[in-house]
Amino acid sequence: MTDIDTRTLDREMKKGSAELVILACLEARALHGYEISKRIEQRSAGRMKFHIASLYPLLYRLEERGWLKGRWVEKAGQRRRRYYELTAQGHRVLARQRETWKTFVEAMSMITGADHG
Amino acid sequence: MAEWTNELRERLARLSLAPERAAEIEEELSQHLDERHAELLAEGHDAAEARRIALAELDAPLALAPQLAPLRQARQPEPAPSGAAVRRGWAGLAHDLRHAARVLRAQPLFTLVAVLTLALGIGANAAIFAVVDASLLRPLPLPEPDRVLAIAERTASETHANVSPLNLRDWRQRSRTFAHLGATQDGVGGMVMTGADGEAEMVSRQWVTAGIFEALGLRAIVGRTFSEDDDRAGRNAVVLNESFWRARYGADPAIVGTEVRLDGEMFTIVGVVPSSAEIIGRSNLWGLAPLQSMGERMRGVYFLRAYGLLAPGASIDAATAELAAIADTLAAEHPATNAGRGVAIDPLQTRVVGEDLRRTALLFLAVVGFVLLICCANVASLMLARAGARSRELALRAALGASRARIVRQLLVESALLAAAGGAAGLLVGAGILALAPWLVPDGLLPPTVAPTLDVRVVGFCALATVLVGLAFGLLPAWQATAGSPARIIASETRGSTAGGGRLREWVVIGEVATAVALLVGAGLLLRTLLAVEGVDRGYRASGVLTLLVDPISDRYPTPADLLRFYDAVEGEVSALPGVERVAWATTRPLGGSSFGSAFVSVDGLPVTEGDRRRTADYQIVSNGYFSAVDLPLVAGRAFDARDGSDSAPVAIVNEAFVQHHFADAGADPQARLAAALGRRVAVRLSARPDAEVVQRLIVGVARQVKARPDEREDFVQVYVPLAQNPVDDIFLFVRTPSGDAGALADGVRRAIGRIDTERLVGIRDVLTLDGVVAEATARHRFRAVLVAAFAGVALLLAMVGVFGALACSVQQRARDSGVRLALGAAPRDVFRVVLRDAGRMLALGIALGVAGAAVFGQWLSGVLYGVQPLDPPTLLGALSLLLAAAGAALALPAWRASRVDPVVVLRGE
Repeated sequence: MTDIDTRTLDREMKKGSAELVILACLEARALHGYEISKRIEQRSAGRMKFHIASLYPLLYRLEERGWLKGRWVEKAGQRRRRYYELTAQGHRVLARQRETWKTFVEAMSMITGADHG
Repeated sequence: MAEWTNELRERLARLSLAPERAAEIEEELSQHLDERHAELLAEGHDAAEARRIALAELDAPLALAPQLAPLRQARQPEPAPSGAAVRRGWAGLAHDLRHAARVLRAQPLFTLVAVLTLALGIGANAAIFAVVDASLLRPLPLPEPDRVLAIAERTASETHANVSPLNLRDWRQRSRTFAHLGATQDGVGGMVMTGADGEAEMVSRQWVTAGIFEALGLRAIVGRTFSEDDDRAGRNAVVLNESFWRARYGADPAIVGTEVRLDGEMFTIVGVVPSSAEIIGRSNLWGLAPLQSMGERMRGVYFLRAYGLLAPGASIDAATAELAAIADTLAAEHPATNAGRGVAIDPLQTRVVGEDLRRTALLFLAVVGFVLLICCANVASLMLARAGARSRELALRAALGASRARIVRQLLVESALLAAAGGAAGLLVGAGILALAPWLVPDGLLPPTVAPTLDVRVVGFCALATVLVGLAFGLLPAWQATAGSPARIIASETRGSTAGGGRLREWVVIGEVATAVALLVGAGLLLRTLLAVEGVDRGYRASGVLTLLVDPISDRYPTPADLLRFYDAVEGEVSALPGVERVAWATTRPLGGSSFGSAFVSVDGLPVTEGDRRRTADYQIVSNGYFSAVDLPLVAGRAFDARDGSDSAPVAIVNEAFVQHHFADAGADPQARLAAALGRRVAVRLSARPDAEVVQRLIVGVARQVKARPDEREDFVQVYVPLAQNPVDDIFLFVRTPSGDAGALADGVRRAIGRIDTERLVGIRDVLTLDGVVAEATARHRFRAVLVAAFAGVALLLAMVGVFGALACSVQQRARDSGVRLALGAAPRDVFRVVLRDAGRMLALGIALGVAGAAVFGQWLSGVLYGVQPLDPPTLLGALSLLLAAAGAALALPAWRASRVDPVVVLRGE
């Protein structure tokens, strides 16, 4: 299994799968941008990488849509950082997209006959 | 830690991000790049390699910027920067305002003087504008002001004569161009009103014909107006003025239909009309004067002022042509009375405002305009001085990067703030002046409906004046303050940019002096006019005489004999009153205008030329006691007496001007001329028609000249005839009291007439003492003179403040020069002289320009001048002395200060 080609990822991103990835990362707790990129990398076991040039525009777009909320958090002795968390709308969108994605994946499996149980 | 800012900024540059947002993104991405860099180092890359990879990720696989571009925050290209600029602009303006307020607060004296100066100028202008607006600019307060016309009769000698009631009746019946025609008797009289509550009070009342309110385009608010039916039935009906109805009856509609007792007679209140009906006369109520019942005799009696409402679609030209045609027909039908009588039709506005008010209002507007100009000049001069003093501060700001526009804006904001404060205070001043106006403005100058008030239009005028004023006195200093190069100004030790500013100030002051001179001369001319008018020898003694117009309009006195009996009875009854010395009758009140008009005269035995045919004389009918009642001496012959009865030979008394005109051939000796006049016959015709009745009258006396108007330019020619030989029914009663107030006789005289006229068929109006007549006749001159003089005084004061300010400032700026001079041995006198030389130059130029201006101003005033030429040397001299005296006071202090400069202090460097 190869890494998902970044070009493909960018195309996927446009279709909305990248949005789902980001929303899912933030479901449990608020993260800053670098943490988000690391979390995706870890969860995909290094198969999926978001570079800086793609990650932040996407974060800002989701923020403009009202799915995320970014806010500067200052901690003692550290630089302030911008943490992103899901908004209520973001949670709803995540639930719906997850459902859609599941349906899509199941459909793909059935069509392609892959032996995922 | 690596620095990423430049790389990021470069990539974000083409996006249109708000500056704050761009900074946030830079911060956030820098942190990311830092961590990525650290991660790469940890993976074993060297620093340069780590940096290269991290940066490469900014551009691969897709560059950062194109992905950010579609975002809203990156797409504020048009609104974002301009919005920011606007915000910055507003923030800058707010900053400027705060700064200006601070600067002005820091100099309270300057601010106070500037604001008060502007308040004075703007306030005076606002008040005068209110008058001009109310009288000249605004349409009459009627529903259809353009359709309401004033109609008069035109005769050979009068362009606007009163109208005969029967002519009015015929116009009304025959005209198609007028929807309504009505008339009033001129003058508002008083009546004693007794209400249902039994309380008696004096109310003002004007007699009007049916149709008058319709002619003004007015409808009754409650009830109705007078109908033709009221007229035919000869009903005693009155209509109330709305303001009187509200004040006296609490706006009770039930009052309509009830009766009130007026001068003892019962009248029915038929309705209430809006107060704008006061345009015909300021009256509490209007009584119906019936036209239908008037006998044919009334065709030759002219006592009405007529008004008409144009029919829809009719033009004033069509109406004029139609009434002229009707007048021609009437002249053919009634040659005895109507031959030679035409009509004169004007829009009501023209008649109401009148030439005198128009001229006075424009005169005042010009004068206060000049005063405002001086106010602006003074404040500009103050600002220039401040700008001069602040030139180094401003130059420093320019050197530190403030653009010229920025500094100009700062100074303009200061001007605007001053102007706004001045405008607001000016509004208060204007309101104050208007509140005092009723006591200042002579009765009759303003038409009844013109009530100048402080309203939106006046406030708007103030606002406009404020803006213009702010620009006027703000631009000059702003321009001047930024004209010089910063380096030069900062380098210059004492003078700064004041050389140029000083010259500018000098010209401002020269302009002020010129304006003050022109206004002083104008005021002088008007004061001399007033003195001439007041001091004129009127030819009679005015004090202690009460006059009132007695008007027995009624068929109660159908024959001349009846009228004479009535007059004799009244004379006897009034003579019997305590405090009455003499009683007489006359158709003309000296200085009060003629109620009868002119007659055509030619002296018998003298060759009759074509010109003679048009020779006229004021025709005055007087009772025998008239000459002694007003102390009018006869210079030759005798007064009328019992010999001159109705059946005796017709006689006349002429005046001195008559003798001058008609007996000049008798030689240069006045006595010879008088002798030539006595015993001669004069043919008197009351109409220009060739077939008009001619009465040959024997000249039995020559009376002294009296003035018909206070400012008449030519002695007017008069012929007096005895009342017994020409009884008329519209005549003034003269009552002389030897001591005390003649006005106090009024009620007694009224009651005395009431005892003779038991049926109350006699109208009594225009109750006024002869002193009152004189005061009324000269009131306009006094008003004009006093007001223009007051403004000229203000202008002089302001101009001198300007002179003082300019000199004081130049002395301060020359302190160093003076110090050097004094240190080098000059006497204080020499320094004094330098200052005086500066002042002299400014004053001389200002005076030269001012005299030229005064010549133009005087020419423009010539229409209202009397007894003085537009270019009057004594007036000019007086104005200049006043100016020089004031200038002396203004420059004493600065000159003294210049000579008292301590060289040591100055040379040490201030």
